[in-house]
Amino acid sequence: MRTRKNKPLFFRKAQMEILGLAIVVVIVLVAMIFVLRFLILDKEPEYRKPFLSSEMASNMLNSFLKTAAAQCSQLTMTELLVDCAQSKTITCSDGKNSCDYAEATAKSIFNKTLSEWRVKYGFSAYTDVDNPFISLGEGCTGEKRSKLFAIPSSTATVYVYLELC
Amino acid sequence: MKKKSQIQMAETIAVLFVFFILIAVGFMFYGRVILGNVQSQKDEFVQLQSISIAQRAMFLPELQCSEDIVEEITGCIDLFKIEASQDIIAQNSRYYYDLFEFSNITLKQIYPNENNWVIYERKTDTFESKFITNIPVSLYDPVARRYGFGVLTVETLSK
Repeated sequence: MRTRKNKPLFFRKAQMEILGLAIVVVIVLVAMIFVLRFLILDKEPEYRKPFLSSEMASNMLNSFLKTAAAQCSQLTMTELLVDCAQSKTITCSDGKNSCDYAEATAKSIFNKTLSEWRVKYGFSAYTDVDNPFISLGEGCTGEKRSKLFAIPSSTATVYVYLELC
Repeated sequence: MKKKSQIQMAETIAVLFVFFILIAVGFMFYGRVILGNVQSQKDEFVQLQSISIAQRAMFLPELQCSEDIVEEITGCIDLFKIEASQDIIAQNSRYYYDLFEFSNITLKQIYPNENNWVIYERKTDTFESKFITNIPVSLYDPVARRYGFGVLTVETLSK
């Protein structure tokens, strides 16, 4: 049996070269992994968007529901939505009932804000989720921030929902 | 013999050359990564700063609605406080610069009427980034005791 020392110089040199090649391959692989990690997977972090979307959905609904209807005896949108879900007895000075007036106001406000800022949204008001009495916007398919407000009334709770995509 | 050693010398020099090139490329890449991290931290700071300025504007007592003098209502701006605050802000520009830095704060009434107010304005021509934050707010008319709908726009410029 031949010992390691007895191996011819040619074999030892060949082994060393293969070892050197293997080291080079390992270094190149590690470098490639680093390059992929930093160039492809490293996305620009977005700090503002999640905060602003959730704040915007909440503030938008809160402000909308407090808003007084100019042509409906200064009743708030909350009162109009409750009437819309119950008896529809309120008729505004422009001839619209509570549902139509609240819907037209919401549409006007969202067109001047969310649509102008190119923010896709979905707005709905309902007592039964499958049958909303007001539904505006396209709604979101992917990531979204939403806010749900519950308005208690004598017959059923009215829910007002806004989602921003 | 002499020729063989010359070849070996050339081989060693070539290997060292390649090695140093690899080291240089590694350092360049490392430098880029470090620069990228610094830029990312700067972006984070600037974005958080813009949120902070927007929140300061939103909760500014000079504008915010109040009940019984003390209780402040969030997300609401008193229409009667706007004009008074415009004068106060113009007279104390240094104090408000510490709060809002280089930014433009405007208020737009959307419903029932359309109206615009400039609350604070301080521009710079040499800015690197600009962020616009729109905050929907209620506009309270304390005389008629009713709310309208408006948007507070905070445009922050950072160097």
